[in-house]
Amino acid sequence: MDVSLNLNGTTHCLSIEAHETLLGVLRGLGMTSVRFGSDTGETGSSAVLIDGTLVNTDILLAAQAAGHEVTTVEAFNTAELDPIQAAFVAVGALQSGYSAPAMILGAHALLEHNPDPTESEVRDLLSGILDRETAYVKPVEAILRAAAVLRGDDTDPFEPLILEPMTDGFKPAVVDPTDTTPEAPRAVPRIVPSPDVPEMSVVGKPEIKVDAIKLVKGNPAFTDDFETRNLLVAKVLRSPYAHARIVDIDDSAARAFPGVHAVLHYKNTPRVKYASGGQSYPNPHPYDQVSFDDKVRHVGDRVAAVAADTADIAEEAIRLIEVSYEPLPAVFDEREALAPGAPVIHDEPDTTEIFDRDRNIVHHIEADRGDIDHALASADHVFEQTFRVHQVQSTPIEPHISVAWLDSDERMVVRTATQVPFHTRRMLAPLIGMAVKDIRIIKPRIGGGFGAKQEMLIEDIVAHLAIATRRPVKLELTREEEFISSRTRHPQTLTFKSGVNADGTLIAQSLRVIGNTGPYGAHGYTVQTVTGLRGLSSYNCPNKRFDCDVVYTNIPVPGAYRGYGAPQAEFALESHMEDIAHRMGLDPIEFKRQNWVKLGDELDIAPHLGERAVAEGELDEYPRVTSCGVEECVAQASRAIQWHRHLDPKWRRPADRPTVRRGIGFAFCMHGTAIPFLDMGGCSIKLNDDGSFNMLIGATDLGTGADTVIGQIAAEVLGVRLEDIKVYSSDTDMTPFDTGAYASSTTYISGTAAKIAAEAVRKRLKERAARLLGVEEPCTIELRDNRAWAPDGSSVTLEEVALDSLHLEDQEQIMGTGSYVSPECPAPFGAQFAEIEVDIETGQVTVVKLVMAVDCGVAINPVTASGQVEGGMAQALGYAHCEEYALDDEGRMLNARLGPYKIYRADEMPDLEVFLVQTMEDSGPFGAKAVAEIPKDGVAPAIRNAILNATGVAINDLPFTPERVWRALRADS
Amino acid sequence: MSSIVAYHRPTSLDEAAELLTESNRSILAGGTAIVPEKRADHTGEVEMVDLQALGLDAITAVDGRVTLGAMVRLAEFSTDPRVGELLGDLARRELPSAMRNQATIGGTVATGSADSVLIAGLLVHDAQVEFHDGGSLPLDQVLAEGSGGTIIVAVNIDPTGAGAIMVTGRTPADEPIVAAVARSTTDGFRLALTGVASTVIEVDPSEPVSGLEPPSDFRGSSEYRLSVAAILSERAVKAVA
Repeated sequence: MDVSLNLNGTTHCLSIEAHETLLGVLRGLGMTSVRFGSDTGETGSSAVLIDGTLVNTDILLAAQAAGHEVTTVEAFNTAELDPIQAAFVAVGALQSGYSAPAMILGAHALLEHNPDPTESEVRDLLSGILDRETAYVKPVEAILRAAAVLRGDDTDPFEPLILEPMTDGFKPAVVDPTDTTPEAPRAVPRIVPSPDVPEMSVVGKPEIKVDAIKLVKGNPAFTDDFETRNLLVAKVLRSPYAHARIVDIDDSAARAFPGVHAVLHYKNTPRVKYASGGQSYPNPHPYDQVSFDDKVRHVGDRVAAVAADTADIAEEAIRLIEVSYEPLPAVFDEREALAPGAPVIHDEPDTTEIFDRDRNIVHHIEADRGDIDHALASADHVFEQTFRVHQVQSTPIEPHISVAWLDSDERMVVRTATQVPFHTRRMLAPLIGMAVKDIRIIKPRIGGGFGAKQEMLIEDIVAHLAIATRRPVKLELTREEEFISSRTRHPQTLTFKSGVNADGTLIAQSLRVIGNTGPYGAHGYTVQTVTGLRGLSSYNCPNKRFDCDVVYTNIPVPGAYRGYGAPQAEFALESHMEDIAHRMGLDPIEFKRQNWVKLGDELDIAPHLGERAVAEGELDEYPRVTSCGVEECVAQASRAIQWHRHLDPKWRRPADRPTVRRGIGFAFCMHGTAIPFLDMGGCSIKLNDDGSFNMLIGATDLGTGADTVIGQIAAEVLGVRLEDIKVYSSDTDMTPFDTGAYASSTTYISGTAAKIAAEAVRKRLKERAARLLGVEEPCTIELRDNRAWAPDGSSVTLEEVALDSLHLEDQEQIMGTGSYVSPECPAPFGAQFAEIEVDIETGQVTVVKLVMAVDCGVAINPVTASGQVEGGMAQALGYAHCEEYALDDEGRMLNARLGPYKIYRADEMPDLEVFLVQTMEDSGPFGAKAVAEIPKDGVAPAIRNAILNATGVAINDLPFTPERVWRALRADS
Repeated sequence: MSSIVAYHRPTSLDEAAELLTESNRSILAGGTAIVPEKRADHTGEVEMVDLQALGLDAITAVDGRVTLGAMVRLAEFSTDPRVGELLGDLARRELPSAMRNQATIGGTVATGSADSVLIAGLLVHDAQVEFHDGGSLPLDQVLAEGSGGTIIVAVNIDPTGAGAIMVTGRTPADEPIVAAVARSTTDGFRLALTGVASTVIEVDPSEPVSGLEPPSDFRGSSEYRLSVAAILSERAVKAVA
């Protein structure tokens, strides 16, 4: 049908199909700001203005828009940013920026009719645009600030709030109940400075993100935004069974369907064994996957893939593939999978190195210190508790998407939304029968990953299809596919057993874990080892044991998810320690403080777990806590949450609301920074004619701000502005190696690599500048303000140095490279508090406020760092409170949509407050430690402990849904 | 292939009615439910009949009642003072912002979700559904029996009386597991419940859960829903008393 579409003031006469959505038509017209997140309207990432009103284009037929004014963010793009775009940039409201154009358009619509909106009205506007990154804190602030600018009101500069320390860094603070935290908008980072941290020019400053402009304008940035000629579209046939053999496949009808170019399945694809987890060489065994198998092991597992001219044709071809299945018994619970008679999930002979195939135990992990049995026997008190944690998903708004093609040299190029481009290149090579040198992986901007994209999930499919068709092939998962075939957090059953002496000293602690890795090993080994080391590292204890079985089941595949085994461990640990304190009549914080690790304490189980585990006696010395700001964290956060109220019975039982109980809970948090002796990143920096620098890094910015932060580190070394560092990441042909974005490693590892590379460049700059300035000792030259300064005050610009070195005398390219692998894993620390209300008649828990104070060393950029904490807490809130996979008895997911799978919206978020407590971590670049994952650790136990404070009822299973809480309250009464 | 094979935008009700005499044609109001449903349905062929050009987007108040055109968007409805505070609040709760701008009152009624708080509000506000053929039916009858493919042109309500909603959900803005919506009338109260039957139902405020056998799902068992329905009913009635 022919329609006339008025787009951004221009009329387009188009011939469209009746079923086409406006989203598809707009993207076809080059409107890259309009982005796919769902096909049911739930993410809002596709929203545009129709006659000035925000509407989702993924559920709007293009024909419905005919005759209306359609406005995308491209309409506002000029050389200057408009005030709303400028506010998003200024306050750091952009992380991946995938849904930012929709938010900006919504703000335009709101402010057009309501120039002075309340925060509640702004949150209502944003309710239709889901965000997994910012917790909506900074987007709300951006819109309020833009409104003020548009009204002509004065606005304060967006700068961190500097707070007075409340402790000396070591001794606990005595918090005056009448004392309150100074007021500032929630989006403003609150920094507690350390006297150990020197003043710096670029590091520690709220610099604008280096990718902000392209994100706020909706410019082509993401995998789907780049046009490719002759592109074919792929679709995947997925298993309807949780466990079945494929007896036969007949693809003849699909192959014969017009427009179909390839159909791949187990009969025509090489059987090469691999493990899909994006990890360092050698990937942990077993290699229990192949691209297409003759057995399926979960609903949503791959059966076949089609490449066709259009998505419609590919979908039709998928339906024409005839598959004969032999259904097999399935098992979903990790405890049942261990039981005698449970179905054996990997019975194929070519998967080796399964620990106990007949019992579905893929890995058995043990580590211990001291003599746990003797210590438990001698302890004054012994406590044992079992916890069960569930399956959730990170749900990045941009689903997995990859495009593969053979370039003019017939090398394989894959542009893909991945956190691990270098691992993907190495892992893909054997599957498609090409050498690593003949594969190039390009990572553009990514619309959120959170671990789900630390996986070679679909790159092999598009590569196989590109080889089969000799044409470019794109595969983008639907939202349902993202749920059933992407990666999730491991469910676990955890049992803590602790021995405590009468004086409150922890003398023994064991942790038994049954980890559910679903049908494939993937990250099963490493996630569970992190559960062990996080569960047994936070508290000093001379006798420890970790005992873990990692078990195959038929649930959708678990893998990496931000936190990587730590949230499960910390939920159980912080709940267990809380309950011990109560049973012994001790104050929970005092009991935990008595035992938690402090500056200088040994971390003695970590080296015995993980990919680089060492045997007893292999280490001369155990790692120690090298920086720790936890006392300041506890002080700042307890003041902000008004912790004293948790003992006030009148507050806990409000007289005017008889069915409500209030409570506050606490969790001590400790995480890691990178994997020692394993994670490695590289960087190269070269000088340009104008004194600017190109910096190439393999690190993968997922929206976290890694490119910005690493750029700030280089700029600090080189004495230039951040804008003089042009950052490019990451492309396996162009940039140095990097293990990828995981394990809270990027700032620490890749940032140190950048620092080393910049220092090499600085050395040569000083030598050349010294010659120009007639200075004999180059080490006396100082770089600052884009100039090289001699001790006598004379100077040359870096542009002059560059022109001299590139064109005038003894010409050379000044450049430097650096790479870094760390022998250490410095721990960030945190204090997490939660304030909640419980409806004791219905079981509904309402989370009122979350406060987290984090010691992440020196926050290289306090705006991006606080954004990480805000976003991490919001995801952790979902984990604790409302998100869960619901499977029926056949393993089919009942809630594979956002909505039924509930993630928090802007208009229902609790109050969030974040503090960044500085410490100087000498091993990190300019004092930095990790910040990305620790916000995932403490929310669930803090809420659980708050429910305990409110009601006296301890709940040991997640999440705290109304019926679970209601049943616990009834059982207690 | 998607089952949507054609699109029509009639400019009169008679033209729309004529188009809808063909069995393979479906009414398209806002599209928030039917567009994703039909795009995902690959069986058969369906032609969409879009009602946007029929002028069904007016809100009028006559003789103490308010008539809501079938194509009135929930966003517009939520801010119109003539519909009263409760219904405005329920329209906001029904959907998040962008979908609220798209969804219509007629589409909401025709879809008839068992979890719709807005439908619960319309029930207690004595909603009458008006059809193109001049007839009208009480909303509860439409929910039970459907509209028979006839074009809904308006929903007529009594906006008077104090109202209250009580909900239990996983989060504050979650689609409630159970909701109770109450309204005071000149002769007592009216009460409707979501999440306890295959449709939203109006119940006797004095015995709100009598005879109910709620369905179970992953958000709440039958036992739980029944218990919560009783609690929320009592609270809602108390709030408007």
